Amino acid sequence: MQAKCFHCGLQVAPQFTYHTQVLGKQQTFCCPGCCAVADAIVNNGLEDYYHYRSEFAEKASENEDDILNKLKVFDDDNILQEFVEAQDNNSEIQLTISGINCAACGWLIEKQLAKIQGINKVGVNVSARRATVTWDNQQLKFSQILEHIEKIGYHAKPFQAEQHEATFRQENKDFLKRLGLAGLMTMQVMMLNIGVFFDLFGHIDAQTKQYFNWISLFLTTPVILYSASEFYSSAWRALRAKVVNMDVPITLALTLTYVSGVFATIQNNGQTYFESLCMFVFFLLTSRYLEHSARYKASQLSANMLEYMPTTANLIEGNKLTPVLAKSLVVEQLVLVKSGEMVPVDGVIIEGQGQLDEAMLTGEFDLVSKSIGETVFAGTVNQLGTLTIKVNKSLKHSMLSQINMLQNKALLNKPKIATLADQFSQYFVMAVLVISLSSYIIWLQIDASQALWVTISILIATCPCALGLATPSALSCAVAHLNSKGVLLKRADALEQISQVDWIALDKTGTLTEGKFTLVNSFCDKNQDKDECLELAASLEQFSSHPIAKAFAELPRGYSVSDFSAEIGQGVTGNINGVSYKLGSLRYIQMDVPQLMQSCNVFLSTQDKVLCGFLLTDKIRSSSVELINELNTKHLILLSGDISPVVEDVANTLNIRDWLAHQTPEDKLNVIKQAQADKHVVLMVGDGINDGPVLAQADVSVTLGAGSDLAKSSADVILLDNSLEKISLVFSIAKRCKVKIIQNMSWALGYNLLVLPLAVCGLLSPWMAVVGMSLSSFIVVVNSIRLLK
Amino acid sequence: MSIIYVLIPIAMLLVFIAVAVFFWAVKSNQFEDLERHGSSILFDDDLPKKTNKTQPNPNKHNE
Repeated sequence: MQAKCFHCGLQVAPQFTYHTQVLGKQQTFCCPGCCAVADAIVNNGLEDYYHYRSEFAEKASENEDDILNKLKVFDDDNILQEFVEAQDNNSEIQLTISGINCAACGWLIEKQLAKIQGINKVGVNVSARRATVTWDNQQLKFSQILEHIEKIGYHAKPFQAEQHEATFRQENKDFLKRLGLAGLMTMQVMMLNIGVFFDLFGHIDAQTKQYFNWISLFLTTPVILYSASEFYSSAWRALRAKVVNMDVPITLALTLTYVSGVFATIQNNGQTYFESLCMFVFFLLTSRYLEHSARYKASQLSANMLEYMPTTANLIEGNKLTPVLAKSLVVEQLVLVKSGEMVPVDGVIIEGQGQLDEAMLTGEFDLVSKSIGETVFAGTVNQLGTLTIKVNKSLKHSMLSQINMLQNKALLNKPKIATLADQFSQYFVMAVLVISLSSYIIWLQIDASQALWVTISILIATCPCALGLATPSALSCAVAHLNSKGVLLKRADALEQISQVDWIALDKTGTLTEGKFTLVNSFCDKNQDKDECLELAASLEQFSSHPIAKAFAELPRGYSVSDFSAEIGQGVTGNINGVSYKLGSLRYIQMDVPQLMQSCNVFLSTQDKVLCGFLLTDKIRSSSVELINELNTKHLILLSGDISPVVEDVANTLNIRDWLAHQTPEDKLNVIKQAQADKHVVLMVGDGINDGPVLAQADVSVTLGAGSDLAKSSADVILLDNSLEKISLVFSIAKRCKVKIIQNMSWALGYNLLVLPLAVCGLLSPWMAVVGMSLSSFIVVVNSIRLLK
Repeated sequence: MSIIYVLIPIAMLLVFIAVAVFFWAVKSNQFEDLERHGSSILFDDDLPKKTNKTQPNPNKHNE
């Protein structure tokens, strides 16, 4: 068996191993990144982390300098003030931290930060994967904090909670308070009344009973007024909208029982059911709290996914360059975009030429050459050359914002599918109300003193509580299961729709394919050594930022290169051991290529001879093939912004019959709308900014963890580890979940129908009804929990 | 039995104190992260680490 990396647990390739001393032993690591992180942890005296952790850490990233440079942006006060709450010299900030896997990670981060001079307070929240840091801004720069976290292998980003998350959090706290109060009071009231019920203390005289009633009333009142207030307002909202929901009979049962209990206590005559009341509220709240906190956690995790990097721009004023926020730029201003920087705003090039990575807009990663007079778009990256651009649209009106708006519109128009349970419970509640009322009237004729209690028993016993729990409990368990498998569901009810999907649209670049150049084949001149050619090419490409260069990044690059230069859109040249080499397109090397290398697209040559040809293409993900095989019972279509031959080629390789090329975001949107108009339930898989609107429009949308922020914000399902075959897991869980929902519903309904005649005949007292109701809900929840396995 | 006229009000007082403490705990975010603090007691921070900080002692842990 191969050795595993001590830090991240991945397999170690035998030819590349790294070692360092941890916990008194020589340990093996898979990459310099993991090794450096372990060293940093040991040197800070935190090696106990390796004792405490229950999960392996994430694989450390290797090009650390790159990340650190980006983090420097946050030292600018203008930018930082968006995130920071400052008081005197103390600044407080919220960070999202990726890479947290277990409680020991929280410990490690807190210890690491607490050592830094100037840090006042650190709190790490492991379940939300966030941290709150307070520091003295006179002593410490913010980027230094990020740097320290980066050193031990985590990635931190400043973060601003969205408005809806703040509401979620407040609601969650309210729920907890209500639940806690109801729980404590239930225990007290129960303790008093169990004694009375079963005459545990021998004979209890009337005076003591009356005393107990008053105490119970006193303890129950806060439960009714505070804990249960949620039910009243929900019932009221429903009634005002002229519908009934489950909270209507609940409210009715609660108020009736409470009011009659109050009268009975005051008049010292009649029965009270305060303990049933408290227990009822407590059980109802428990189930709702569980459901709510599952949704809260999902929303927290999905909000973490949205990295918020404010874009800055270099504003040219006379001879001076000033860094400003991109959103403050106005039309006619001049901006300098250096090589490797993101274009901050839409504009026209007035000086220089460059190669732009427009993958964010088109989904295609091949670079586009642009020169004076051409338009560049916000969000694209200038890979090579320096550009001076004149702003022609403010950020608010840029192409990027327009796509964003298109997406928001699609999200708003998404029809809310009324769930089965919702529709069903409407009728059910109506029936319960009618039956209760008629049995009340009938019982008035038979035995007036019993009429009220029979009615209350009916209301409680048939409480559609279990029915209401049937769907949400199954959904939250399914979501939790998927979460543990690396699939994040942002909207639990998407699962209900997934089982109906019959039409699947797939994006090409970055989704079915890797979205980057990969070296597929190389053909060498027969007098040359292949490995040497590859090493020469890799050595030359290490200085280039072109996407092609990344294909060579994994190869050994032992030669030192002098006189390196890169020609925009053509290739690179450099001197190795006194020989001048060229690496680039056919046009760049300007030589006849041997028959053998005809299929290649990148060539390595000396002054007089072609040494080697490389075939670089966008490789199809290995998981795509499996996915297509499993989904071929449904209608599949490939939608891409790429040119026809490439799309056709991929479609043929993967055996997809339908494909459309040259698709703009609007085109894709129309295709999906058309399919929906034909009564298909559409699933869209995509990753780019250009897929954002389509993802929002589709009934269910899936994106990859490596996808763009815009895609992640509109998708329902995020595959965190980028493996497409997880989609079939989602399908199978959705199917199991549906079966569970049907089981739960039939049980809940069956129980209610069974107990109804008993309640109507007056054989059920309210406390028995409560116990039965709780038991029925309990069975539903336990049945749902089986989905976790 | 008349002792219950004294004991039950005392019990009620205690319950209300418990409710107040619980509300305070919720308000000060103590229920925000249930995963972390359950296990943090197992991470023995209070061991003297001073010597460890500057120079890791390789013989300390030998599993």
